[in-house]
Amino acid sequence: MNLREFQRVLKQAFFVPLLALVALAGVLLWQVRDAQQAQRWLDHSDRVSTRVAELERLIIDQETALRGFELTGDQTMLAPFKAASGPIDAHFDSIRRHVSDNPEQISNLVRVHDRYLLWLGFANNVLSTPNAAANAPLNHRGKELMDAVRDAMRTMSDTEDKIRSSRLENTLILERRELMVIIAGALLVGIALSIFSLTRLRQVSSAYQRSLDELQKRSNELYESREWLHTTLRSIGDAVMVCDANSNVQFMNPVSEELTGWPLDEAVNKPLRQVFHIIHEHTRKEAENPVEKVRRLNKVIGLANHTALISRNGTEYVIDDSAAPINDKSGNLIGIVLVFRDITDQKRAEAALIASEKLAVAGRLAASIAHEIHNPLDSVANLHYLLANESNAEKRAEYLSMAQQELKRTLQISRTLLNLYREPNAPVKVDLKELLESVLLLLHRRLDTQSVTVQHNFDGSFVVEGFPAELRQVFTNLITNAADATGINGKILIRMHGVPAEELHGSGVIVEILDSGPGIPHHAEQKLFQPFFTTKGEKGTGLGLWVSMGIVQKHGGTIRLKNSEDPDLHGAWVRVYLPAHTLATSSSRSTAHVG
Amino acid sequence: MMRSHTILCVDDEALGLQIRKALLEMAGYQVLTALDGKSALALFEENPVDAVLLDYLMPGMNGGQVALAMRRAKPEVPILMHSACVDLPKETAEVVDSTLSKGEGPEMLIHRLQGIIEASQLSMGSRQ
Repeated sequence: MNLREFQRVLKQAFFVPLLALVALAGVLLWQVRDAQQAQRWLDHSDRVSTRVAELERLIIDQETALRGFELTGDQTMLAPFKAASGPIDAHFDSIRRHVSDNPEQISNLVRVHDRYLLWLGFANNVLSTPNAAANAPLNHRGKELMDAVRDAMRTMSDTEDKIRSSRLENTLILERRELMVIIAGALLVGIALSIFSLTRLRQVSSAYQRSLDELQKRSNELYESREWLHTTLRSIGDAVMVCDANSNVQFMNPVSEELTGWPLDEAVNKPLRQVFHIIHEHTRKEAENPVEKVRRLNKVIGLANHTALISRNGTEYVIDDSAAPINDKSGNLIGIVLVFRDITDQKRAEAALIASEKLAVAGRLAASIAHEIHNPLDSVANLHYLLANESNAEKRAEYLSMAQQELKRTLQISRTLLNLYREPNAPVKVDLKELLESVLLLLHRRLDTQSVTVQHNFDGSFVVEGFPAELRQVFTNLITNAADATGINGKILIRMHGVPAEELHGSGVIVEILDSGPGIPHHAEQKLFQPFFTTKGEKGTGLGLWVSMGIVQKHGGTIRLKNSEDPDLHGAWVRVYLPAHTLATSSSRSTAHVG
Repeated sequence: MMRSHTILCVDDEALGLQIRKALLEMAGYQVLTALDGKSALALFEENPVDAVLLDYLMPGMNGGQVALAMRRAKPEVPILMHSACVDLPKETAEVVDSTLSKGEGPEMLIHRLQGIIEASQLSMGSRQ
């Protein structure tokens, strides 16, 4: 039952009893009026009877006065006779008015009047006759006439009595009916109202019960869903923490309890900063409170790289995490969910992979480097032998100069090799032209063996900030990839050009490497930068591009790989963008963001 | 008087080749030089050669391919594979008479060269 229906029931509960009582009162009023009417008719009969009795008395008074006069002849005796004649007429008029509704009584009255007039005629005759008193027949006549009057009066009186008793009976019937109607009406209205109230109350109460049931059901559902979420959050493998808008901890799952070292019951309502103590892994500076950051940006955020969580007992975990706002219906921030993971092992594994890839690069170069060094050393040994057996000064000078050249070459190679590993602590100016030439020097033998020709066009100056050893690793990897792809008699083109600052990146240099190989297979495109993905089978580690991308991204650059549209060099087309100024630090190695 | 032997010396390193030539000449050999396999084969066809000193890692044809071609043309000419390469393919090692790692020193080079020439002449003598 909704509110509208409930209001309708309320209105009914007010108006229905009111209307029922008004109707009952109406019926009672009708009954009372009937009873009053009957009572008035009864009074009417009483008045008619009284008038008839008074008329009879007046007529008897006249007769008595007439008799007195007849006996005494005394005129004074006639005073009542004369006095009565006026009221008698008035009474006749009055009675006539009263009985005008009843034909029987009218004819009775007419008869009384007629007989009275006869007697009055007789009386006047007596009064005008001298010595009438002695006249016995006359007296007898007078008595007869008066008897007739009385007889008529009695008839009338009896008739009125009969009417009255019939009216009395009617009145009594009406009274009984009235009583019955009152009792029946009251009962009827009472029962009807009771039934009505009962049904409406039942309606309301069943609606109320339904609401209660519904509430109970909702509450059960809420409880279940809460439990469900709670269990889900508790059993999730990542650490989950929830705090309110004031940065106070509200919930922690067991993983986050373990990582922070704070049990939930102790952490509840504690400031997040206290429980979730995060710093920058390398600078050791306090990291920004994620709640503040979420409040500021009002969106899901990832924490900065190299965030370390210091647990309550001082253990340090490298974590990867994200924070998301919880908003109410009107979009106000009411809390924040933090999800984080211990990636310490992952970081170690990544570092190991990066190191092993570096070793793999060195390993791949080892044979070629040994050859490079062996050749000049062999020459030097030969020159030494020649010098020992040569006495011609000119020849000796020539041999010494040759030995000088060969040693210089050896030193250059060993220096290049050293540079492959030696890394400054901060980014330095790197001349990409020099860097690429030194990489090609190391790869020279390898490329020659594969009969791969490298064309390059490094006109101009291309200087960027960065870590030369890492960049050497990147280009060694990219050029080796190109050579592996082209195979025997392949061609590689390396070119560089500067790019001005644009909206999405600062000024920098783009190094392009194109090869004449078969290009990137369609199925491999999406996976090229994923670790352990290789198209070289047993020969590849699958780490080269992944590590290279990590290094270039750390420098603030990108590597793009697609198939070339150049008809001469229809293989892969690698474009490495390196910004002129980098924000990278020696420790800020990042692994490639894939996808 | 014993005529001096002619050695065909092949290496893509120009300076190293020049020095080796001087060394071998000092040791009493006549020396022909080639910077790649193709020109080496041409010289080998055109000139009487007593022995070949062959580098392995070279652009274009590698030492193994060159040695194979030479064997087909003049199987009697001994070949010494002289390389800085640490892992020579087995089939190449089987084709040539002997292998020598660069860096073993000039005395060893001359000694081994002498050895294969003498061996080849002995076998030719026995055939005759």
